[in-house]
Amino acid sequence: MADSTKDNESLVKKEPELPVKDPIVSRSTSGIMLLCALLLTLSLAWSLYDEAFGQRPWKGMQQQFVSRYSKYLKSIKSRAGETEAQVKQDPEYQTLDAEAQAATEKVKADIAEIDQKVTQAQRKLDAVTDPFQNQRGKLTVINYDAEISSGKAKEKHLKDAQEWRAKAVDVDLPADDGSGKTVTQKMNYAQLEKLFNDSRDEKARLLGQKADLLKEPTELAKKRDDYLKHHMTGLGPTQIDGLLRKMDQFDYSILPHQISVNEFNIVDRCEVCHAGIREPLDLRPEDLAPDGPGKKPDSFARAFVSHPNKEVLQIHTPDRFGCSSCHWGNGRATTSDVKGHGRHKFWLWPMFEKENTEAGCQQCHAKDRVTQGAETLNLGRDLFSQRGCVGCHRYEGFDHEADSLAATRQSISQLEDQITANEKQIRLDENPTEGTSDEEAQKMLAQSESLKVTNSILAARIDQLNLQSKYLMQDQKKVGPNLKDVRLKLRKEWVPQWLANPQGFRPGTKMPTFWRFAEPMDTGMPPLRDKDGQEQIQAIAAYLWQDSFNGKLPEQQRGDVAHGKDLFETRGCLACHSIGDEENKIGGTFAANLQKVGEKANFDYIVRWIHNPRERWAPYCPKEKRDLTEDDYKKHNLPYEFDTELHSRCPNDGAELQVQNMTVMPNFRLSETDARDIATYLFSLSSPPQYADVSFMDSPELREKGQALIKQYGCAGCHEIQGFEDEQRIGKELTVEGATPIERLDFALLTKNAEEGIDPLKLHAPSEATPSAKQEEKPWYNHKGFFEHKITEPSIYDQGKEKDPKDRLRMPRPFLTPEWRNALTTFLIGSVGAEGANVPQSLFYNPEDTRRQDIQNGWWVVKKYNCMGCHQLQVGQRSVVMDLPFYQTPEGKDLLPPRLSSEGARVDPAWLLKFLHDPSLSGEKTADQNAAIDNAAQAAKPTSAPSSSAANTAAAAPSPAAANAPPTGGHLKAQPGLDRNGVRPYLKFRMPTFNFSPNELQTLVRFFMAMSGQQEPYIKEPLQPLTEQEKLTARQMFTSGTPCLKCHITGDPTHDAKAIAPNFLLAGERLKPEWTFRWLLDPSQISPGTAMPTGLFRKEGDRWVVNLPNPPASANEYHDDHARLLVRYMMLLTPDEQRRLLATAPVAPAPAATPAQKAQIRSKNKGGETTLNRSRRARRPALVDNRSLRTAARPAGM
Amino acid sequence: MAKLNLSKGKLITLGVLVVLALFLRWTVQDWHQLWTISSAPDNIPIVAMLFLVPIFTWMGIRQSRANDRLIAQLETDPALAKTHHRKAEPWRPGWAREIHVWPYLVRIEFLVTVIVTVILFVWSILLNAPLEEPANPNLTMNPSKAPWYFLGLQEMLVYFDPWIAGVVMPSIIMVGLMVFPYVDSNPLGNGYYTLKQRRFAVGMFGWGFLMWILLIVIGTFIRGPGWIWFWPGQTWDHNAVVFDKNVDLHDWIATSRIGKTLHLGFLSNNPAKFIFGLLVVSGFYVLGALFFHWLMTVDFKRLSLRNWFPKDAFEQKLLARTSVLQYLTFQFFAVSVLLAMPVKLILRLALTIKYVWVTPWFNI
Repeated sequence: MADSTKDNESLVKKEPELPVKDPIVSRSTSGIMLLCALLLTLSLAWSLYDEAFGQRPWKGMQQQFVSRYSKYLKSIKSRAGETEAQVKQDPEYQTLDAEAQAATEKVKADIAEIDQKVTQAQRKLDAVTDPFQNQRGKLTVINYDAEISSGKAKEKHLKDAQEWRAKAVDVDLPADDGSGKTVTQKMNYAQLEKLFNDSRDEKARLLGQKADLLKEPTELAKKRDDYLKHHMTGLGPTQIDGLLRKMDQFDYSILPHQISVNEFNIVDRCEVCHAGIREPLDLRPEDLAPDGPGKKPDSFARAFVSHPNKEVLQIHTPDRFGCSSCHWGNGRATTSDVKGHGRHKFWLWPMFEKENTEAGCQQCHAKDRVTQGAETLNLGRDLFSQRGCVGCHRYEGFDHEADSLAATRQSISQLEDQITANEKQIRLDENPTEGTSDEEAQKMLAQSESLKVTNSILAARIDQLNLQSKYLMQDQKKVGPNLKDVRLKLRKEWVPQWLANPQGFRPGTKMPTFWRFAEPMDTGMPPLRDKDGQEQIQAIAAYLWQDSFNGKLPEQQRGDVAHGKDLFETRGCLACHSIGDEENKIGGTFAANLQKVGEKANFDYIVRWIHNPRERWAPYCPKEKRDLTEDDYKKHNLPYEFDTELHSRCPNDGAELQVQNMTVMPNFRLSETDARDIATYLFSLSSPPQYADVSFMDSPELREKGQALIKQYGCAGCHEIQGFEDEQRIGKELTVEGATPIERLDFALLTKNAEEGIDPLKLHAPSEATPSAKQEEKPWYNHKGFFEHKITEPSIYDQGKEKDPKDRLRMPRPFLTPEWRNALTTFLIGSVGAEGANVPQSLFYNPEDTRRQDIQNGWWVVKKYNCMGCHQLQVGQRSVVMDLPFYQTPEGKDLLPPRLSSEGARVDPAWLLKFLHDPSLSGEKTADQNAAIDNAAQAAKPTSAPSSSAANTAAAAPSPAAANAPPTGGHLKAQPGLDRNGVRPYLKFRMPTFNFSPNELQTLVRFFMAMSGQQEPYIKEPLQPLTEQEKLTARQMFTSGTPCLKCHITGDPTHDAKAIAPNFLLAGERLKPEWTFRWLLDPSQISPGTAMPTGLFRKEGDRWVVNLPNPPASANEYHDDHARLLVRYMMLLTPDEQRRLLATAPVAPAPAATPAQKAQIRSKNKGGETTLNRSRRARRPALVDNRSLRTAARPAGM
Repeated sequence: MAKLNLSKGKLITLGVLVVLALFLRWTVQDWHQLWTISSAPDNIPIVAMLFLVPIFTWMGIRQSRANDRLIAQLETDPALAKTHHRKAEPWRPGWAREIHVWPYLVRIEFLVTVIVTVILFVWSILLNAPLEEPANPNLTMNPSKAPWYFLGLQEMLVYFDPWIAGVVMPSIIMVGLMVFPYVDSNPLGNGYYTLKQRRFAVGMFGWGFLMWILLIVIGTFIRGPGWIWFWPGQTWDHNAVVFDKNVDLHDWIATSRIGKTLHLGFLSNNPAKFIFGLLVVSGFYVLGALFFHWLMTVDFKRLSLRNWFPKDAFEQKLLARTSVLQYLTFQFFAVSVLLAMPVKLILRLALTIKYVWVTPWFNI
């Protein structure tokens, strides 16, 4: 500024020296003009480029895809030929090819003949066509002229026509000998017409004949070609050429690659860039590497791969569902991967990370317990229910029994209130006050009558609800043990120890670490233990100790460790429990590791528990809200008895009682000795250490504090605790947690860290597999990040916060492996409900057919009781026990629990219901018990009241089977079906009694039927009774060849010790004839690896006959289907008939035969008369025993 | 030693920049966020204005001062005045006295057009329109901000009730801008920059303009989640908590210590508070008008502690040319907008006064 001032001052003085030229006029602007023009041109060019490519980055990707894919296709073209050739070497293909060719060959001669005839007819046709058409044309013209003229002219024309018709023309017909020579014939119009029509018809007839002949060869050829198409690893050269052509004509734009589903408002352009997703080849990243196939792939190559799960794509066709419906992301955005993948800040449905892809399944399959193919998600659901999340957090469908029970009880109390009110009104109505007119009194009386009717209706409704509440109580389970038993079960000193550090005592336990009072652990976060943490532990322990049952357990002697170990390993304990310390533990994770039971528990209690875990110390009355005592029963002159069958009501007020421990652990029907042995084995694994003094546990002040703490921490979510029976869940409902807006997820002081990718837990720290520093810095301010951090370290969002103790976070830290964490996170981020989903509700999976509904309902029960720990329910699924070391040998495999993948097809649903109710099949059908068991429209049910009077009688007069294991010093309640498997007594495994309620029984049966695609309802087809002749034939077939009774149980204890297959007597009630028939023909197809031999029958014409070198004479004379006869025979087998059968073929107790051995055994055992008699005598009581087993209450021999 | 040739203006500018840099260095804890805000495509214009407004203001002032000097010179030399009509490049002998618009102006304008076009091209290529994903009707974003040019309006909502801030004020501003040419009685200063001849007009416009920019800057850089005041560089914490208790002026007085001693509790009741507010607002208008009148006529050069009201002869002359209607119209708009806004801003921010005049229909 100073300069300009100077200039101005010197303006006048310096004037003469200044340049004469006026700068405004003389200064040239051409230079700057040129520059600007250039800049303008450049920016114009840039904007054009930007318009074409910059704003359309997908074009570059598409070009890359086309060039790389073409390169790949060319590289595999030569190999494709090879693969086709290889498939053609396949014997199956050869067979198909041979068949097709043979068929072609067979008709070849006929075809040739027909072809020749066709040619001939064609030649004739060709010859006649032209003259005929000429004649016809002319005739038409003459006729037309005749039509339009009249009088003489008309007559003339008509005459002409006549002449034309009669006129013969020369036709060069081919000679019939086929020599190629022609014969000239003169033909008039009528002849021409006839010849023309005849030859045309002839040709059509011949072609039809040919098509008929070719039908079979064509079909066979198609079959062969289909085989080739399906069995080729890649594609054929022609197909590859087709793909290459497609690439040549690739359309570099959006619309042809866009999926648009109007119906659901889905528009996805994912395939604009992910062009290889639906290619018929399985494209891997390295196939599309930038430097050619097989080289190092880059990010483009990873984007171009084909969908990794084409099966899922087949069910969820992209043309109907799009991509973003499952994966989320912004299907319409194409300008960048950030936008397309929905990683943009404001997009509500960001694409799921690869490891959480199955969250997308949960969106629509929220009602499923098991979704086929979504293993991570299923694991997440399993964890959610099994690890106790459900104890604090409600989730639609999970643990619904608790909710239903509360609702039912509320309805009951409402109805009861109504009844009381009505009764009051009735009393008023029936006792009119002085001065009421007659008319009014009449009216009131009428009203009271109607109220009485109402009350009786209400009472009936209450009865119904009571029954329902009984079932619900039977089904309601808690994740943790019953803490009312603390004093009976545990060492006093152990309790505070456990609370302080559950993971330290039992690594991997379900009990989470309550970081607010637990001993600080090294988790990488500063410990946030409450100041009075130690005191909290003492208080909680004091409450639990003081508020638990105080009683005397039956004392138990120590038993046999070795036998206990054997039982523990073979009875099925390991399907749920694990044993062994950290590194070398075996068994399932469904329940606790039992290595250290000896350190914590009371031996007497554990014996009682193993003997029958459901047996409760005292029944709980939900109406009085307390546990009943013996006195309550005495008051009403009732024996102190409670069970799920007849003694489930409160003696004081008739309310349904909780009579079982709320555990999923089933009753293995072990004898007391066995229970003792198992407990002894468990206690031999560890011994209690020195514990610190715990006298504080008797302090009443601490107890009071403990009560408040238990309420605050929601312990009652997983445990039954005195005084907290009606406690509600303390956590947030999580059904639609994934739809919570991100702003409402409280990242607290970590918001900034999360946004900037600073992770205090280092959850995704680069591992050896992916050593990229970038990954660690990924922001985690999203749902995934929130859930992951929350479940890994629940205290994290209290970090650095100033809070009142009562306001601090309460969620404890669960034990999680990284896999589990991911599964739970997947489950949670997919839990979005209808509001949070990005697809309309109409796309949700809501099976309308009952079959699928039954399957889904059933899964809840199957998963609840861990059926898959022992059984294989789906083809390919592995049960826990299948992987145990003891069952790896061929003999061991024979002793595995049965596969249930086709159970529904195999068994009669009525029988299955009965079996599931009482797997020992020892119950008795009595009229009075029937009423108590099942109100479903099922046939009469057997009962197995665990401690009913019937069972007591059984204990007084034990059945012989039970007598095998005499209850030495037994003082635990005896149980029916003791030590017995109903169908397969030869298995060491024990199908335990689960005490399913009728609700769950129904659900399970329907599940199995639906899984096997069985029709509902099942109507048993009546079997035609056997004639004596048929019986004889069947009996002979039964005993000749492979002796069926060698492996199948007969009821003879000595024989049965070696048997490995069920008793035939059960077949009639248990099996479905149609399945049995298929089973007889080819067992290995139904159950691969079964011991049942294959090839017992061979096909002879339309019927199956026994496949024996010397079939019995009667069999030869029997001209119906042998297999069907045997099925009928088995189904109609009576004990008498079995006895007769055994008499004909006495089977000496032999070692269990392997299938190979069995196949060798063909000759009939010709036992002498004496042997026969002896064996009959010996077997007789055994057979009776067999029957008596089904009637446990009856003494033997009756 | 080379002599540093630094003028006072340059030194001051440098000093201000250094102080600003140090201030930012020590106060900004969160550069990342500052960058996020500044680099958002929708904020680019206002960030640019942070620099462009001072630069153009400075350029305008420089040109005005040059012109003013020229005017002073010419006024003393009538002979020179006859030849020196040109202002940007004053006339010299041999030069044309007048220069034609075509081509000399038009070519420059054309150049500017081209340059602006290039800038717009590049801008639009590099920065896409800040279109976002579809809105979630269940969730409003926080902070929820208008486009930058409306942020001044949005910020005004803090100080006035929605009716005043959203409807009355904008209307007054717009009508006021339209009215300006008609209340202006000054015939000078058309077509060239000058401070001397349009001191008051330029000052008032500059005041209003800067105030508007200031509000936008506050709205853009200072208001975070929950529309809470965050200094630039302070982290926008969604969990931030502030204690903000605003009271109406009458309550403020009624509950103050003085108010209690004087038994002014009745001020909180109707209709006392209405009358009170009316009186305060009326008083404000009177005082405000006097203030603008003083600003209009005072001669700053002769202003001293002893003499507060020296009259400026030139401004006096202008005032004489102004009709009463013109004068009152101007005063109304000036007090209502130019004065009321900053006063209310200070009352609200510094004294936590919510409203001055509470009526059933509107609040001020």
